[in-house]
Amino acid sequence: MSVIKVVNVTKVYNETVVHVNALNGASFEIEEGEFTAIVGPSGSGKSTLLNIIGGLDYPTSGKVEIAGADISQLSEGQMIDFRLQNIGFVFQSFNLIPVLTAKENVEFIMLLQKRPKSEMEKRSVALLDEMGLGDRINNRPAELSGGQQQRVAVARALASKPKFILADEPTANLDSVATSNLLDIMAKMNREEKVTFVFSTHDQRVIEKARRVLTIEDGLIVNDEVRD
Amino acid sequence: MIALIAWRNVWRNRTRSIAVIGAVVVGVWGLIFAFGFMNSFIADFVSNAILREYSHIQLHHPDFKKDHEIKYFIPRGGITLESISQINEVKAMSGRVLADGMINSPKTANGVRVFGIDLGQETATTHLDSLIVEGDYFQSISRNPVLIPKSLAKKLKVKLRSKVVLTFQNLEGDIIAGAFRITGLFEKNSANGGINTAFVRKEDLQNLLGLSNNIHEIAILLDKIENEPLVIARIRNQYSNLLTESWRDLAPELELMQGQVKINMSIVMAIMMLALGFGMVNTMLMAVLERFREIGMLKAVGMRKGKIFKMILAETLYMALIGTPIGMFVGIQTINYLNRVGVDLSAYSEGLKDFGYDTIFYPAIDFSMVISIAIGVGVTALLASLYPGIKAIKLNPVEALRKI
Repeated sequence: MSVIKVVNVTKVYNETVVHVNALNGASFEIEEGEFTAIVGPSGSGKSTLLNIIGGLDYPTSGKVEIAGADISQLSEGQMIDFRLQNIGFVFQSFNLIPVLTAKENVEFIMLLQKRPKSEMEKRSVALLDEMGLGDRINNRPAELSGGQQQRVAVARALASKPKFILADEPTANLDSVATSNLLDIMAKMNREEKVTFVFSTHDQRVIEKARRVLTIEDGLIVNDEVRD
Repeated sequence: MIALIAWRNVWRNRTRSIAVIGAVVVGVWGLIFAFGFMNSFIADFVSNAILREYSHIQLHHPDFKKDHEIKYFIPRGGITLESISQINEVKAMSGRVLADGMINSPKTANGVRVFGIDLGQETATTHLDSLIVEGDYFQSISRNPVLIPKSLAKKLKVKLRSKVVLTFQNLEGDIIAGAFRITGLFEKNSANGGINTAFVRKEDLQNLLGLSNNIHEIAILLDKIENEPLVIARIRNQYSNLLTESWRDLAPELELMQGQVKINMSIVMAIMMLALGFGMVNTMLMAVLERFREIGMLKAVGMRKGKIFKMILAETLYMALIGTPIGMFVGIQTINYLNRVGVDLSAYSEGLKDFGYDTIFYPAIDFSMVISIAIGVGVTALLASLYPGIKAIKLNPVEALRKI
């Protein structure tokens, strides 16, 4: 079953003044358990596509289905709840809550989901352990390296048990060692726990690791490469 | 956890938060100080006017006050006086004879209201003896002694032991005059500062006017001001033939003044709260704009608008909740200290005394007033968080995250 189904999606910015066609009818499907990279040059529509898949923006036309639900019809409030329950986000600049510890950052998303306290406690510690951060759970983001912060962000994204994780240039601010560590962890999660990952990236190391690469140019999917 | 995040957010920029908390402390302290001072100022004025001038209740013949004609005395005044003195709540009372007339010195003359008083009763009721600044309280002169204000003595160009002539109309309407000798000069410390008054012994004035034992006025001082409605109702019931008035009827300007001071205090409070509110709005707006990416992320990952709003609200309230008790504590301590030692305004004493104020004030404040200040700060913080809160929930997560 498709986790993500994008059907002929267009996005036009500044509709009343100057028309900028960010997406020109993109269509594709992503199945559960995929490890997919969306690549393309700057201005190709990558980020717009990711925002629309992530329910952060609405398409001008076309349809986006997440696990069978058409999210283009949801109200803003419904969309917030939908994102909380179904989508995990990893951002380029980590975007952790600076006043919370690593563990509290991971628990935070489960708190929004109103999970029991005991589950929050157990799951946050387990996820941070899996990320190799068992000894840093009580450190605040400022006390962690970039790579460690991004691993906390992945743990936070996983904590909500989402249908898929959307990662916008997750390695852009990391050095090669941290990038390699992060990619190994995400690949492991994908392989062992069937977590679906969708990246937007310029990073060749991420592209090499991906098992499917969607290339976008001028708002259209121009290449869909599936690797073994 | 929202509360925890809000609390920790308060301390992200310590200097800024401490500045806002400091403003709350100073604001609350300032209001408590100002209210305490104004409170004692007006309480002092009212209590002086009651103690020195009006007493709590006055009784007259119903027609006496129209023209102060001496024929309108209180029927069986002595018996009335005796009967009222039996009321438990009555602390002191004074039966007086009143006559408007002229006071003449060898140099000049002046209009004057002359009170014939019972020396003991008047001391107990108005502490007239405590106002004497030169001479004595009817002791050094045995025949027709008179007390006049120092200012009037200056105007008449007379001094202690000088002779003055008091001229009135008697019961028959004939002009009569009596020679009196000045036994003491008193400092006018009265709300009714404009009228010249002179005090003589009751029996001297009664003899002069041919009034035998009759009196025109009974002034009653109660043990507590709160008992006034109860006592006045009882007296009115018992002496329906007399005009019974409270200090509020006798000096409506005092109540008006109390009301005006309350309005002034409300205006001062509103201005303070407005200034505080703008400070808080500014700080919280800066905090929101500085964190627009973080707030955008919170919205992106699924934090509802209501929770974001609550977080901003909590941050503002925390600052108010830290500052308010400190301000209350410092304010109450300041007032308590000043209440013990007093605030000496003798540098302005001339002007103050003319208006019936004491020169040393003892500021005091009701706890209910302190609570209303605290509630005011809370409401201000609540209102101040609205705009930054709305700004935060209106942030578009895509725009907030775009610059990442």
